[in-house]
Formats: sequence, structure tokens, C-alpha cells
Amino acid sequence: MKSQHTTESVKYPKISAIVTLLNLENSVEQIYSSLSQTLEAYGEDFEIVFIDDGSVDGTFTKLSQIADKDARTKVIKMRSTFGEASAVDAGLKATRGDIIIYFTGRVRIDPKDIPALLQKLKAGNDLVIGWRSPRRDSRLNQVVSKLFNYIVRNISKLKLHDVNSGILVTKRSVLERIPLYGNLNNFIPLLASRQGYNVAEEKIGQLAGTFRQSRYVKEYLQRFLDIITVIFLSNYSKKPLHFLGFVGAIFVIVGLGINIYLFIYRIFQFGGIAGRPLLLLGVLLLMIGIQMISIGLIGEMIIFTHAGEIKEYNIEKVIGYSGE
Amino acid sequence: MKSTVETNYNLELSLIIPLYNEEDNVKPLYLSIKKVVEKLQKSYEIIFIDDGSTDKTFSLLEKISREDKHIKIIKFRGNFGQSAAMAAGFEAAQGKVVISMDGDLQNDPQDIPNLLQKLDDGYDVVSGWRKNRKDKFLVRKIPSKIANKLICSITKVKLHDTGCSLKAYRAEIIKRITLYGELHRFIPALAKIEGAKIAEIVVNHHPRKFGKSKYNLTRTFKVIMDLTTLNFLMKYLHKPLQFFGAIGILLNVLGIVTLFWIACRLLIYKFPVIQLNILITVAFLLLAGGVQFFFFGLVTDLIVETGSRKRLYLLENYRSVE
Repeated sequence: MKSQHTTESVKYPKISAIVTLLNLENSVEQIYSSLSQTLEAYGEDFEIVFIDDGSVDGTFTKLSQIADKDARTKVIKMRSTFGEASAVDAGLKATRGDIIIYFTGRVRIDPKDIPALLQKLKAGNDLVIGWRSPRRDSRLNQVVSKLFNYIVRNISKLKLHDVNSGILVTKRSVLERIPLYGNLNNFIPLLASRQGYNVAEEKIGQLAGTFRQSRYVKEYLQRFLDIITVIFLSNYSKKPLHFLGFVGAIFVIVGLGINIYLFIYRIFQFGGIAGRPLLLLGVLLLMIGIQMISIGLIGEMIIFTHAGEIKEYNIEKVIGYSGE
Repeated sequence: MKSTVETNYNLELSLIIPLYNEEDNVKPLYLSIKKVVEKLQKSYEIIFIDDGSTDKTFSLLEKISREDKHIKIIKFRGNFGQSAAMAAGFEAAQGKVVISMDGDLQNDPQDIPNLLQKLDDGYDVVSGWRKNRKDKFLVRKIPSKIANKLICSITKVKLHDTGCSLKAYRAEIIKRITLYGELHRFIPALAKIEGAKIAEIVVNHHPRKFGKSKYNLTRTFKVIMDLTTLNFLMKYLHKPLQFFGAIGILLNVLGIVTLFWIACRLLIYKFPVIQLNILITVAFLLLAGGVQFFFFGLVTDLIVETGSRKRLYLLENYRSVE
């Protein structure tokens, strides 16, 4: 039988927790009990949706046992691993709460600290990102994360310490305006802030214990590609030529400079240039530069031809249209 | 979405005014506009777009809107820039004619009847020309003059003052233009792409009384890049292969000339091959690059084919109606 909670209170809970899990059979129980106890103590109606992102261990079995016992929990099993962003999106569509708590099981945050984030949300913010502190994951993880966040802080206007912490609380309306695909889940605070929402951060503890060794070199490299994403998200998304034109122009200028030098060198008979590697460099730079500008123009063209679908603003309030 | 051609326009006139931290200007601006539009005897609306002001702009607007049903307000969640603000206004406008103006009282609402008059003479866009500009000479007027010359010569739209915010448009035209990035500077050029007939009239200009100017000079590079884009789009939107193909041909010709040069040296001057290694690489590089540009051209043809059909169709539709 289902638990003592009536179905009415489950139907429209105020808070929806979305927890994504991948191969974490040993943590499932701990996450569930700690999270449900915390939210019970917090006092608002809530639901918990676990997204099993294609686990191959016993994660799903354990989750379904929990869902059988507790009517406030739901489980969504993805057919295979589609990634965080898709999991969040699926969770968002399966829930109804106005306030969303999202975290991924991997980062092992301590659910007991979630009320602090909820408080900060109530204080007039639209999104509160968790700042893992003190951290208990591996030293290398921490160093890479620190460096990444340092760079992000310098590029974007947001001064956050743990932009990709994997734990945040926000309003449903915020997440519904943000595109969630690829690895954009790492940048939800930046995307929200770009839409004009207030973003804040709050410290959250991490649970002790063994961390799944999930961070491979590949993932660290991914962080650096992510920085390029941040640059584009922060500055150039609708104007590719602003960025590519700038880089391309530098290449063209340097390439042109080298070639002019070689041309003068040849004309005034200082010697032959056919065997000089500098010639190769000059031509190469010039061509890469022209290519970059061309790709920028192609990007502009794509955006222009789809211009009808572009909306670069977010309206908070409209006055004077109600009488229609 | 733009569903423009069949839109019903309920009103005769829409005024679009983006505001960003203009608390001192709100009330006098409203009063001076009101005085002019009431005399026109037309149905109208005044749409204020609050672009994420952090001062009292919004609450002042709200107060005005409670007393005047002609007022509409769109409040942005953050500061999204003038292009976005104007785009939101154009989208919301219900008038057959749309007039945009600055919220800093430097434009004079007294010019509105003249703009409408000119529009009635058979134009689609009428731009204001601040012949006696009341701005600082060095930091505002000179850069603006240079920018205008540049924009004119590249977009082939003959206006003295493209940067003037005070403009009147027919709704069919302005609803078809989507502003993003900082494209509001180039509305006349964008209108020309849509097939509009453009005119200008001299308008008044007042020095700034309240608040601070929000423009700065550091955007030159972005303007140049936007101009490059516009130039490219205006010339090649419907035939991109001609642009990229031309670069491709140029590179291929250079590559073939280089190869020919190498052959001469090898066969006639009996150079050892080892001395020509670099030059041979250069030749192949040029040829490979040239081929790539042909493929760029083909890809862009595909983009235009699949993406802009609706826009092209609208354009033709409009012209045939004309």
C-alpha cells in the first residue's frame, strides 16, 4: 500500500525535487532518506522525481522499491544515458511544483543544507546555485573546478564560485525559459542571468564517503571546451561575426604582414623566398583568417534567415493590454 | 513569430519609446507627446518599453498608465539593449503606422505630423534628420558623421542621419524586420532589404536636459562587423555561391599559377626539387583552400534554400501588392 500521505496533497506539491542518478545503487537509499527527511522538516508539500539516466547497476530496482513505498516519489528511467541536460528536462516535464530543486547524485551534496538555498530563493532571487564548501571530492577535481570557475568569473558578469556544482534551486518559470540540451546543464546560472533573472549562490556541504571515480581526463578537457561555450553564451551568441571576425582579422593582418615583408624581400633581390618556411606560415595564416571570417558570415546568414524566431528579451510585466 | 501580412491593425498609430533609467524624462516626455498626438485626431497607443531600469522609471510609467488608457508598458526582466527593446515594441504595436523615438527628450514630438505627412506621400519608412544636432561635437557628432558616411556607402541607403531614433514606418515593413544584436542602427538598410521606399525629413533636436547619455565610443569594431554582415547579406543573400565561389576561384587560380611557376623552375631552370618543397606546399594549400570555399558556397546555398523561403516569398508578395 501507499503511505499515509493522501493523493490530494501529492497532486499539486509546491516543491519538486529532481534528482538525476547514473549507476549509484549504493547512494540511492541515503539520498532518498536524507532528502525526504529534510523536505518534511521544511514543511512545504513536495514531490521527488528520480531520473535514472540509463544506469546498468541496481539503481533502478532500488528506486522502484522506494517509489512503491512513498507516493511522493516518482521514477523516470531513460532508455539509455542521454546526459544531464536531457534528464533535467525530462524531470521538469514530469513535475508540477513551482519551486524546483535539482541536483545530480554524483556530486554527493548534503540535502540537509537545501533549506538554506530555499531561504535564499525566497529572499527575492530567481535561482540559487549551491556552492560546494567544504569540498570532499578529489584534490584534482577541486583544482580543475577552481580554475574553471575563476575563468568563468572573469568572462561572465556573474561572480559565482561553483557555477557547475550540480545543485540548484529555482522557479519553474526560470528553467522553462532556458534551453536544456548538450552540456548546457553546466551553465544554467549563466543562461538564467542572461534572461534577466536574479542569480545568487549559497554554500552547501558535501557528504563524506567514497566518490565514484567519474572524472576522467576527457571530462577535464571538456571543461576547457566549456569555456568557449561560456564565451559564446556571455557575448556573441547572436552575432558570430563579432567573435570570428575579430579572430579572423588578426590572422589576416599577421598573414598579410608576413607576405608583404616577403614580397618586399623578393622584389629588392635580397634573396629567394621559395624555400622559406615563413612563406608557408604567411599563406596559411591568411587563408585561415579568410576562412574564419567566412564561417562568421555563414553563421550570420543562418541567424538572419531564422530571424523570425529570435527573441532576445524576456518580458517581466505588461501593462495596458488587459482590456482586450 | 512573424505573421505579418494578414495581421489586423486595430489602431492608426503606435508610438514606440524604449526607456532605460530615464526617471526625470518620463513625465515631460509623456506630456509633450500627448499634446501632439491628441491633435492628430487618430486612434493611437503609446508603448513604453522599460529596458530593465533600476531607477523609478517603471513606477512613474505605471502611474501614468493608470490615468491614460492609451499607454502600454512592456517591462523587461533585465537590460537587453535598445535593439531588443525596439523589437518588443514593434512586435506589440497594433497601429498601421509605427513611430519610434528616443526616451531622452532629444527628439521633438512636434515632428510627428511631418513624418506622417511624408509617409502619406508614398513612402514606407521616413527617417528623421537631426540637421542641427545639439550634442557634443567631438565625441558624438564627429563619430556619427563618419559612421553615417560609412553606413550610407555600404548599404546604399542615402540618408544623412541613419542613427536618428525618430522614424516612422508602415507596419507591414517594420513587422517583417527582426532586430537582434545591435541591428537597430541599421533599420533603414534592413527595410531596404525588405523592399521599402525610404525618405527623410529634417527634425528638431534638443540638448539633453536630464540623465546621462548611454552611448559610448568603444563599439566601433562591432559596428564595422555588423556593416560587413549587412553588406554581405544585401549583396549575396540570394546567391551566396557567387561570393564564396569567387574566393574559391581566386585561390585556385593562385594555386595553379604557383604550380606553373614551380614547373618552370624545375624544367627550365633545373632547380633541385628540395629547394622548392615549401613552394609546392603553398601551392597545394591554396588549391585545397580554394576547393573548401566552393563547399562553403554550396552549404550556404542550402541554408538559404531551406531557411529563408518564407522571407523571400513575403518579399515578393509585398512587391507584387505594390
